[in-house]
This record gives sequence, structure tokens and C-alpha cells, in this order.
Amino acid sequence: MPPATKLPPSRPQANVMLSRVAHSLYWMSRYIERAENIARLLEVNLQFLLDFQGLNDASLKDHWDSIILSTGEEKLFAEHYKTATSRTVTEFLAFDLRNPGSILACVFAARENARMIRDQISAEMWETINELHLYLKSQNTTDVWAGGPHEFFARIKQASHLFQGLTGATYSRSEGWEFIQFGKYIERADKTTRILDVKYHILLPNASDVGGAVDTAQWQAVLRSASALEAYRRAHVSAILPWKAAEFLIFSDSFPRSLHYCVAQIDDFLRRILSETGARPKSDAARAARRLLADLQSLSIAEIIDQGLHEFLQQVQTTLDTIGEEVVQTTMFYPAESSAEEQQQQ
Amino acid sequence: MSLISTNYDAGSFFDEMFEPDGKTVRPHYRRLAERLTTLPAADFNQRRAAVDLAFLRRGVTFTVYNDSEGTERIFPFDLIPRIIPSREWAKLEAGLIQRITALNLFLHDLYHGQKILKDKIVPAALILGAKHFRREFMNFNVPRDIYVHICGTDLIRDHAGNYLVLEDNLRCPSGASYMLENRVAMRRAFPNLFSSYGVRPVETYGDALLKSLLYLAPDRTDKPNVVLLTPGVYNSAYFEHTFLARQMGIPIVEGRDLVVRDSKVYMRTTAGLVQVDVIYRRIDDDFLDPTVFRADSMLGVPGLVGAARAGHVALANSIGTGVADDKVIYAYVPKIIKYYLGEEPILANVNTYLAAEPLDRKYILENISKLVVKSANEAGGYGMLIGPASTKAECESFRAQVAANPRNFIAQDPIALSRSPTYCDGELQGRHIDLRPYILYGKKITVTPGGLTRVALRKGSLVVNSSQGGGSKDTWVLQGDE
Amino acid sequence: MHLSILHRTTFTYAGKAHDSFNEVRLRPIDDAFQKCVSFDLRLEPTATPQDYSDFYGNTIHYFDIAEGHTKLIVEAQSLVETTPNDDRPSVPSVSSSDLEHSAEREMFAEFYTSSHYVPLEVELWREAQDALCDGRADVWNEVCRLGRHIYRTFAYKPKTTGVSTRANDALKLRMGVCQDFAHVHLGLCRSLGIPARYVSGYFFNTTRRPREIEASHAWIEAYVPGFGWAAFDPTHDRPADDRYVKVAVGRDYADIRPINGTYRGAPTRSLKVDVKVRQTNGRLVPA
Repeated sequence: MPPATKLPPSRPQANVMLSRVAHSLYWMSRYIERAENIARLLEVNLQFLLDFQGLNDASLKDHWDSIILSTGEEKLFAEHYKTATSRTVTEFLAFDLRNPGSILACVFAARENARMIRDQISAEMWETINELHLYLKSQNTTDVWAGGPHEFFARIKQASHLFQGLTGATYSRSEGWEFIQFGKYIERADKTTRILDVKYHILLPNASDVGGAVDTAQWQAVLRSASALEAYRRAHVSAILPWKAAEFLIFSDSFPRSLHYCVAQIDDFLRRILSETGARPKSDAARAARRLLADLQSLSIAEIIDQGLHEFLQQVQTTLDTIGEEVVQTTMFYPAESSAEEQQQQ
Repeated sequence: MSLISTNYDAGSFFDEMFEPDGKTVRPHYRRLAERLTTLPAADFNQRRAAVDLAFLRRGVTFTVYNDSEGTERIFPFDLIPRIIPSREWAKLEAGLIQRITALNLFLHDLYHGQKILKDKIVPAALILGAKHFRREFMNFNVPRDIYVHICGTDLIRDHAGNYLVLEDNLRCPSGASYMLENRVAMRRAFPNLFSSYGVRPVETYGDALLKSLLYLAPDRTDKPNVVLLTPGVYNSAYFEHTFLARQMGIPIVEGRDLVVRDSKVYMRTTAGLVQVDVIYRRIDDDFLDPTVFRADSMLGVPGLVGAARAGHVALANSIGTGVADDKVIYAYVPKIIKYYLGEEPILANVNTYLAAEPLDRKYILENISKLVVKSANEAGGYGMLIGPASTKAECESFRAQVAANPRNFIAQDPIALSRSPTYCDGELQGRHIDLRPYILYGKKITVTPGGLTRVALRKGSLVVNSSQGGGSKDTWVLQGDE
Repeated sequence: MHLSILHRTTFTYAGKAHDSFNEVRLRPIDDAFQKCVSFDLRLEPTATPQDYSDFYGNTIHYFDIAEGHTKLIVEAQSLVETTPNDDRPSVPSVSSSDLEHSAEREMFAEFYTSSHYVPLEVELWREAQDALCDGRADVWNEVCRLGRHIYRTFAYKPKTTGVSTRANDALKLRMGVCQDFAHVHLGLCRSLGIPARYVSGYFFNTTRRPREIEASHAWIEAYVPGFGWAAFDPTHDRPADDRYVKVAVGRDYADIRPINGTYRGAPTRSLKVDVKVRQTNGRLVPA
């Protein structure tokens, strides 16, 4: 049995963070980020397809298939829906509670986690999540379609931004803050890789289509999904070049949704959470994060395209998964429920 | 138009503020009466509304669970304070200290030599059959030999104004958070009046409580780790749990945050396992440890009782205190005080008939419609019959219960509870009140000056509990007598 | 008699269990008719048990196992010496009214009032009246006749009742195992105001019935003023003698559970119990 931990001197006993509380803060943050990202992904792609009314059915289907593939839930989708259309994909990604990654499922989960630690978060933070939850319970796909999906997605994004803003304004910069930020950036980095990956899944039939109007529009949609279009244009005055868009979303150290930026934050918060004070990280999670950060600081887009963009993104996803899982295990783990047991008669 | 009208009806009850003529104000209420006379009703209403809003915003609530959602309610607060002059309080304080000293010795005896049973002062059958007598902790020592660290004793006044003990609460007495919040509200609502009176502070409660908890810590370290153990967000008193934890600056934990290793208790934190020395537990014994008590409890900590037995963790209040606040044992408290302290009780009990005693039982069964009958172990005013206010059918049903299970019932003559002017529909009307002072047993026994005055808001009602239409008032114990 | 007892309980989990906290009542007591010469508790996975004496004087060993495990074995080995039958005093004849007026009876109030497994409902009282329709006599005589009544009118049938069957349910079924027989016997005695307590232990069975479980055994003890606690076994219709080894006493099964506790993890577990009671000449026989 390992001896009891001696607390680092910076953390007096009264400010000790319970694993359970850290767990809830982390997941509350991840779920909200996830909901916002799905909302944006859906919205942009719905808009994109409106712009390209001329695309034939096969292309449309390809496009929606690629969205589903990028979420990693293609098996689950196939179990419940015949074909990927704008309606079925919206249903699946926004409202279907059988999909743990749907917007509704994410917001419910975020709210549940927030409720369990209600006395730790400010009243405004709680009210924001609660109101979003109530709003979502009142909608369904038909309403979304009728009312115009834009309004719906705008609400989600607004609530997420409001929540983050309130957290920034009302939550003390304590250990809890670190878990909230850590969760947010892990989720955001993961979603950025998936947004990039959408493009991989859309197979263009001819080489000549590369750089064409559809291709460019698709890369525009990718940038929009990450709210990166304006920032990209400020950085690159020229037209959208596919490899430049990918480069921006992977390597920019100033754009808050880029992989590089997110992983830099992850590295920083991770060290604080694990109380790693030395220059060289000790734990597996911190070392993995540092290695990933180093790659993002030194690789070039050419090298990544050579290696294969999709393969690179998959590796990043796996690394992020491992980091997240390890932090959960070491700091936030609390056991499953008790079981009852039986006795023997005499 | 002021609130103090000329036709205040003091009724046949002892009124806190007015003499029986309904006009003459008792000396210690004079300043308040003057203020209320000059205060326009609209102004009073404004202050009232401000206080209510503040309570709502601060979340000073309790939760009623009729459905899965649970409704949060503000515990209604009345702005007219209850005022106690210093000399009256001195007697109450002495009586409460005497009572808890004796009850603590009683508990120690019950869980060790049981001399009081062998000397036949209290019938053994009553203890052995008591729902809260915890055999599981027999013959184990508790830190500093203190069983009850936090006690809430309910007091009432009869028609002559005498204070009587209605019951002791020795397990998880609640309400201290309302006492503290009420004081904050009153200071804001009537700052000048408050300071002109010289009211003894209650804000020291959190500090005093923490001190008495630290007093129990085993000798492991000079910075003992004290935590508050709560059943969680779904408990109706959750607000109070978080409030007190914050006041004391201690972590609030649920059962699943704690783990026992080698008979020591640890918190699961992001920095690993941190040992716990003292637990202020707001969970009943039944749910404390599924290995020893109820096996289906998800709220407790397996192995916690083992850690307490080994002396590695202190529990406040200790395991097993419920046997001494059993309503039937209540009737024996005067004898208990005499047995352990050799003194007459300073504070009297309400005269009580025991259904377990044949003569008393006969009397109860024959006169049930004239008596207040209580079930030994129900809390919150449930399981109680107020004979004079009940229907024949209700009385009959209770009579059958008493006859079937006499050990479980007591009866008392109805006391004409005292009343206090309370804001009702634009004017002051008399409403029945009680008083719950909080007694802390640490190195010294301290009684927080004041406590929670609960008021039955419904006209004529005697039931003061929050879940059944009660409210509260701030209680002012004066430095002097006026 | 010199007896050696092995009591091994094996729990097998579907998956991994951890954070297992347990209390066991397996150590035979020491009293006027019995001495526990040696007692050894072996645990697998290994753990160091602590012990204490509970309200009834039973020895409770408690231990916890934090790490994951798929199997838990609790093995108790004891060597016990019981007083030969010839050296045991006979139970005196004491009338019911002498019992009712005895000074100490009140201290045993929990043994003649309702308990978890033995709620004193009117059916038990009626059954007791029926069983003694030949007339009242002295306390011990009544206890024996009540026990015999159960022996004669109930069927010993395993798997018809369960570990949570109460006395009134067993009474309706009129069948069960020794735990049920003991609970009903307690109900009958208590209905007449005779303080009686549940005894768990072992018995050296020289003649086993077909399909009779070799397990821990249950019988009762009744309080006779001037004597103390006198034991009777309703499953075998006889007073307990030197073949019987007492482990724990209490109000009913709930007070003497041989093993109880909680654990986390694996959703289910199965239980296997091996009990071996053998006569020895005083030396420890390997398990």
C-alpha cells in the first residue's frame, strides 16, 4: 500500500481537490466543447451543401459519409440509419441520444456533471448550462429544419462561448481551473483533427478536380468549421491553398483552435495538474504531450503530407486519448459502485 | 400606518413582546416597538422583500423531494426578531450545559459499564429495544470521551413563560446555517436598531465548531485534516452542509470520496490519498458503513467504523448518540441528570406519560383526545397526534397503534406554546414559536447565544418544521437585560 | 470431546473485485462447557485481520483487501475441547412465574422481544399454544417440548427457504434448514416470554441425514434462572451436548453472520463453503 501522499507546499489541505470534483469539472468542460464543435461542424457543412445545390446525389452522399467517418461513429450510424443525408446526419449528430457524441447527449452529460459539483461553480455558469439544456429538450429535427438550422446552431455556440466567458470571469484560477482548461483543450485538439480529417474522407474522383471550385469550397468549409476562415485570410492574403489551410490549422501558434496552440496549452496545464516542476517531464502523459508539442513545433506540412495527413491525424488522436486517459486514471479515478453480496444459510 | 396596531391579540398565550393586555410592551422589546411604530409599513415591506431576494440569490434553501426533481424552497424568514434578555439567557445556558454534560456521561455509561441500567434507574428493556442503540460500538472508546459534540436542544415556553425542554437532537441537528444567515439578513435590514441593542454575536459559531472538531483529532499531526461528510446534493440539508464547510474552510466530501486502508481514512484527491483525522458527519449511523450497518447504503464508507474503533479517525457526533435523544428516554433525563451529577435539573422537561408504563398507558388510552402523542423515533413532526386538534378517526387510529406497540409512544399534556409577533398579511399577529440553541462540546462546552427561533406560520398551528409550513426568526440575546 | 474444525469459504468473482471489507465470526467461544484451544485464520489474498469482542461477547475478525482479486478464501481452523456430557449439570426446574419475576430477566429484554428475523406475530404465539396443549410446566421442559414439536412437524428440506427467510415465513412453509428451525423455535419461546438466543456453531455429526448439508449449524439457548443459558437443537430434537461447538450468539442470524462485508467491482460472486468437523485426540489434523 503506497504511503499517504505528502501534499506539495503550494496546496494547503483546505484547497485540496477531490478526484470526483476534478472528474466532473474535466468532463463538464469536454462535453461543452464537444457540443460546440459538433454544432459548428454540422452548420458549416449544411451551409456548404446549400452553396453547392448542383452537386449530384452521389457527391452529396459522399460528403455526408465523410462527416460521419470523421466522427468515428460510422458503425453506430449504420446501425440506426440507412443512408447519410442532411436530415439523417443532423438527426444523428444533433438529437440522437443513442449517439453519446450528439449535441443533446453532450449537453445532458455536461449538465449532469455540473449538477454534481454545483457548489463549486458559479451560479451563472450553472444557469447557462441549465438554460441550454432546457432549450435543447424543446427542439427536434423537424423544428430545426422548419425554423432554419442556423438559429439553432447559433444558440449552441453562443451558450458555449458564454459559458467559457463566465468561467473565465468567475472561476478562481485554482486547481479546478486547470482541469477545466485541460479538458477543453484536449477536446478541442481532438475535434480540430477530425475537422481536418473530413477532407481526407472525401475522395475526389479526378486529379484535375484538385484545386477546382469544389475542392476550394470544401477547404473553405473545413476552415469555417474551425472558425478559422477570417484568421486564415489575415495570415495568407492569397486564395485558399489546400496544403496552406491544413498547415494553418496544424501549426499556427496563435490561432486558438490550431493543433499547435491547443497542445501547447495541454502541455502547460498538464504539468500544473501533475505538479511537474522539473524541466524534463516525468510522467508518461506529460512526456507524450511534450513529444507531440515538439513535433508540432518542428515538423513541416510537406513532411506530414508525405507521411500521410490522415495517418498523422490518427496518431495525434491516439496520443490525445492516451494523455486524457492517463490523467483520469492518476488524478480523477474513483471506483465503480459497490455491489451487494449474498450469505449462506446454516 | 405602522405595523404595530392597537388591537394586537395576545390571546391566552405567553407573548414574547406584549403583556397579556396586548398593549404593554415588555422592557427588552421597547426599542423594537418604538422602531416599528415609526417605520411605515411600506418601508418594512421593502426590507422584507430585499431580505427574501437576498436569500433566494444566496441560495439559502432547503429541498423538498416530492418528485425526482425536488423543489428548492426558501425557509421563510420573519423580520421581527425574538429578543432574550441576558439574565434569562444565563439560566438557559446553565441548564443546557448541565443537560449535555449528563447526557454525555449517560452515553458513555450505556456503551461501557451500563451502571445506570444495573442500578435500574432506566429500564434495560428501553435501551436494548431502542432503534438507535448501536451494539456495534459497545465497549469502544471515543476521543476525549465525548459522544455528542454538536447538540440542538429544542426549548418552548409555557403559558407562564417558563422555558421547558421539548427534545434533544443528538445525531445530526440542523439549522445552524439558517441561524447565521438570519443574522446577516437582520444586520442588513435593521442596522441601527441592531447596533443600538447590543446583541451578542453568533458569527463565532463556525470557529467554535472547527475548534471543537480539531480538539478530537488523534495525535498524528499538528495540522489535522477535518472534513464534512455529506450524503450529497440530493439531501434536503445540502445547503447547510456546503455552507458550514465553507465557513470552516474544510473540504466537503461524499462517501465515495473516502477510502479506508489499514483502518485509516483517506480522501481521494488529485494529489493522491490524503489522510483524514476528523469527520463531521451529516449522515445517520444507518448509512455510515455498509460493512457494519445497512448493507445497501451507497452513502457510506466501507471500513469507516473499523477506523473509528481503531482510534484513527474521530467522528462527530459519535456513533450511537441516537439512543439518548429517543423520545421515550427523554422522559428519564431528569433522573439521568440526578444520577450522574447529583443535581436537580435546571431546565425542566415537559410532563411526559410513558405508554410503556402500565398506569401511564391506561391514562393515555383513556384520554388520547386531550393529549399530544408522539412516536418515539419519528422526526420532523411526523408520527405525532395533537389530540385536541384531531378527528375522532385519527385519535382511534393512534390509540390502536399505541396499544399495539406501547414501547414506541409517549404522550404529553398540550403546552400552550408562547407566541411572537410575526408579520402576517400586513400586520403583526401572534404565532407560536420554539427555540433551538446550539451547544458545542469541545474542550469547553459553549452555547451559541441565540440559536434558531422557529415559527409556525399558519394561524393556530403548533408545527414549526420547515417541511411543514414553518419559518424562522433571528434570535437576539442581549448583552444586558434591555 | 476434542474436536477439530475446518471452515473454508471460497468466493469466486465474475471479474475482479477490490476494496473488499469484511467481518467474520468464526472463532469458537470460551465458556463453562467449551474451550477454544487454538484458532487460526488464513486469508487469500493475504491480509492481517484485527479482532474485537462484540456486544454479545463474540469474537469478530475484520480485514480488508484493497487490490484486485478474482477469488477470496477465508479459512478458519480451530481446536476445541468440550466438557463431557457426564460433567454437565442438569437444568433445574423453574416455573414460568419464577422466570417472569426474576431480577435479571429484564437485562435480557432483547431476547424475548421481536428481532429482524423473528418478528413476534400472533401465528407464532398460536403455534406455541398448540405445541403445549398438554399443559404448561417448567421453563426448560417447555423449551424442549417446543423444540420437539418443530422437529416432528417440520420437514428438513434444503433449498426451500433462503438466507433472508424469517421465522413467520418458515412457519407457513413448515420446512427449512437448521437456521429456520432455530428461528421458529426462538419465536415460540419468545412468544411465551422465555428469553432465548440464537447460537451458531458446529456439531460433530455422527449420523448425517441424506443430503444434509455439512455446514455451520444453528440451534438455540434459553435462559433458565439459577442455571443460565441452556441449549437445545430443534433440528435434531435434543439438548446440545459435547458434540456441539458454539461460535457466536445473538438475537438471530443477523447478529452472527459468519462472514459479511462489501466489495467493489465484479458484478456477481459465487460462494462455496467447506466445513469439516472431526474428532481428534488433541493434535491438529491437516486440513
